[in-house]
Amino acid sequence: MKLSRDLLENVRRLRAVYRDCADVVFHSFRIGGHTQAMLVYVEGLILLEELDRNVVAPLRDGPGPKPALEDVRNRTAVASVRSVGTFDGLVEEIADGRPVLIVDGLDAALAFGLTDWEQRTVEEPTAESVLRGPREGFIESLRTNIAMLRRKIRSPKLKIVTLRLGSSSKTPIAVAYLEGTASPSLVREVMSRLNRIEIRDVLETAYIEEWIEDNRYSPFPQLLSTERPDVACAYLMEGRVVILVEGTPTVLIAPITFFSLLQTPEDYYERYVVGTAIRWLRYFFFVISLLGPSLYVAVVTYHQEMIPTTLMLTMARSREQIPFTALMEAFLMETMFEALREAGARLPKQIGSAVSIVGALVIGQAAISAGIVSAPMVMVVAITGIASFMAPRYTIGIPIRLLRFPIMFLAGMMGLLGVMLGVIALLTHLLNLRSFGVPYMSPLAPIEKRGLKDVLWRAPRWMLNRRT
Amino acid sequence: MVRKLALALALAVCLLPAAGCWNAREVNDLAIITEAGIDLTEDGRIELSVKIYLTSPIGDSGSGGQMSNQPNGDKGTSVIRTVTGINMADAASRLQKMVSRRIFWGQTEVFLFGERLARADLEAPMDFLMRHVASRERSHVFICDGTARDVLLLDPPIDRSVADALIAMAERQTGLNITMKELAQMMVGKAKAAVLPIVQINTHKEKQEAYPFIEGLAVIKEGRMIARMNEQATRGVMWLRNEMKQATVTVTPDDSGGFVSLHLMRSHTRLIPSIENGRWIMTVRITGQDDIVENTSNLDLSEPAHLGKVEREMERFVEERVNLALNAAQKEFNADIFGFAEAFWRKYPKQWKANAGRWDEIFPKVEVRLETDLRIARPGLIGKNFFRRQKQR
Repeated sequence: MKLSRDLLENVRRLRAVYRDCADVVFHSFRIGGHTQAMLVYVEGLILLEELDRNVVAPLRDGPGPKPALEDVRNRTAVASVRSVGTFDGLVEEIADGRPVLIVDGLDAALAFGLTDWEQRTVEEPTAESVLRGPREGFIESLRTNIAMLRRKIRSPKLKIVTLRLGSSSKTPIAVAYLEGTASPSLVREVMSRLNRIEIRDVLETAYIEEWIEDNRYSPFPQLLSTERPDVACAYLMEGRVVILVEGTPTVLIAPITFFSLLQTPEDYYERYVVGTAIRWLRYFFFVISLLGPSLYVAVVTYHQEMIPTTLMLTMARSREQIPFTALMEAFLMETMFEALREAGARLPKQIGSAVSIVGALVIGQAAISAGIVSAPMVMVVAITGIASFMAPRYTIGIPIRLLRFPIMFLAGMMGLLGVMLGVIALLTHLLNLRSFGVPYMSPLAPIEKRGLKDVLWRAPRWMLNRRT
Repeated sequence: MVRKLALALALAVCLLPAAGCWNAREVNDLAIITEAGIDLTEDGRIELSVKIYLTSPIGDSGSGGQMSNQPNGDKGTSVIRTVTGINMADAASRLQKMVSRRIFWGQTEVFLFGERLARADLEAPMDFLMRHVASRERSHVFICDGTARDVLLLDPPIDRSVADALIAMAERQTGLNITMKELAQMMVGKAKAAVLPIVQINTHKEKQEAYPFIEGLAVIKEGRMIARMNEQATRGVMWLRNEMKQATVTVTPDDSGGFVSLHLMRSHTRLIPSIENGRWIMTVRITGQDDIVENTSNLDLSEPAHLGKVEREMERFVEERVNLALNAAQKEFNADIFGFAEAFWRKYPKQWKANAGRWDEIFPKVEVRLETDLRIARPGLIGKNFFRRQKQR
């Protein structure tokens, strides 16, 4: 709907829209003491002082009668001014925190880029801390986040496409990619998937993640979420697409592979020998965190001859008084451990330490001395716990923690055969997965020699960049 | 799609209890046998003695029924059960009747055969042990001087059990080290002859507890023990079988007025068969390197000439022992316990095939050519024994 030349008419309609909105301010004044004008803005989203000094003051003190739009614009001292001709556009500008000036007799309004609201300062992301490397993290402001990307990649090839999602929230979303590096079909696919989303509000990137995944039922994440600008930029440089959402510090990266979930930025910041060694340590403990208790249960209930004799005798000794079967014991302890972990995660830091003390005493010392669980079991659970903390990304840690239980059950039912069945089923699923068309297990399956140097080891940087 | 998947999953879960669990055995329900002895009774029955590890901490006499995680004094944590039966399987099933828990053979590390049983028949118990799914092919096998039960009853002070002590001794290669698999291979091999170490008991004397040790070997031919060899001949057998890994040899070189002791660092024995004009010849090439550990002779071992002298002496010493073993095996027992048959078969499959039935006739006549080449690698930090020189002044 077009704006009317009649100021009163426009204001009447705007007031109807913003009925019962106490934070929307209608400020009327006269240009040069003559022409009626109205400023509309949301309190708390704008720079009020700048508005006073650079818009209201020059207009009020200047010449009055019949100003043209261009005239008004030139007299204000604001760098970012946009003219808005439609009513919907007006509402959008106000919601985004730009004060709008409607002048009597003009059928267009001016929106001033004087947005400013309270935001968190840039801090180190707690979930992805590093010892060496940049310590800044994304914040809840899309503008700032995009600026952080631009500060790292100063090339004009860094393209930022914006759109809005959410029928109610109208959340601004930005899609960043590096032109010439990212394949155009990928960018097209991301855009088309985003545009297909029907959603009311977007409070976090997770809201859209579930919409645009390839396999919506898989427990494995098919997009990578990060709070680190350096990680986002690294993936941009590799030709991937980054999706940023207003109001959340996490951004999404697509497409990804399974192995990118097991990498940390520090793999690349440390010397490559160290990076490789730590990567392998991580792979090893990843397997432990998935199979640790299952292997123990399988060996203890079905394959006792596999254990070296001395160890076997010691284990037999410690299991002697235990009332539960190994499977039951494993379920009990693993559930307990997960509960403890969840309890600790949600509590304030001060109380969190109390939980860990109680947990260590209850599931550790007391359970053993009461003869409810065996000491080797507690060790296995503890090692598995440590192993699961080694998952560099929370999003890959969760499915592994979950899948541990069915595999444990299989181990208790069928021994190592069951463990193998579970692993085969899991691998079949992983090999079937795709992230935006990219096979999840690549470059291992299908094998791609070029990519292996960043999976089997962290090749030195000069070899890593060579695209041969 | 989702519904179908869920259905399939539910069905699969329902099938699980049907398929699984029946062979689950909790550790608490097992009677873990750590060592087993097999004897033959006077009336020809098989006597099976097993040592069952006691996992229950209550049964621990030392800790007085107190629950404790420390394996405080693992002594007296085993019980011995003895049963007799008409054969191994019969005895084993009778054993199950005597024990409240499920008999578990998977951790049995040592099998002991009584001499009487070994002289009568080893084939029957071996069939049971190799056929049994749970028993370990890597377990060690010994022949006992006397009955196996007597050895089982020992409680050697140093190690946790007789089994541990015997394994440690065998693996140190001071005696023969034969596993179940090797024994089976030898028994069914081309030569149908095998050797097993003999366990003897050093009897209880005053404060000294009785303990087992390995000395000598038993020669097994066609499924039964036919003879014993003494320690010297055993060493010769070990040289020939390339099992000599650790030895200290003391020689007396001519006009040296003392002894030189050498410690074997490494050795290797190669059997090189050849057939020349219908004569079966086996060249045995023994190479090795030694350290000198003691020198009480007047030789200056920093001089190559003197070293050579010791080396010759050493070679003569080894050859002597090897000939002892060869004589006994070829002339006395006619048992090819050195693997000559396999060596010939590998190199001359056709001739072997033609003469396979005649090996017992050929073996005693096989001409053995010894080529020993032992070197002194490290004469030690001092050349002469200079303590001795001081004494002479």
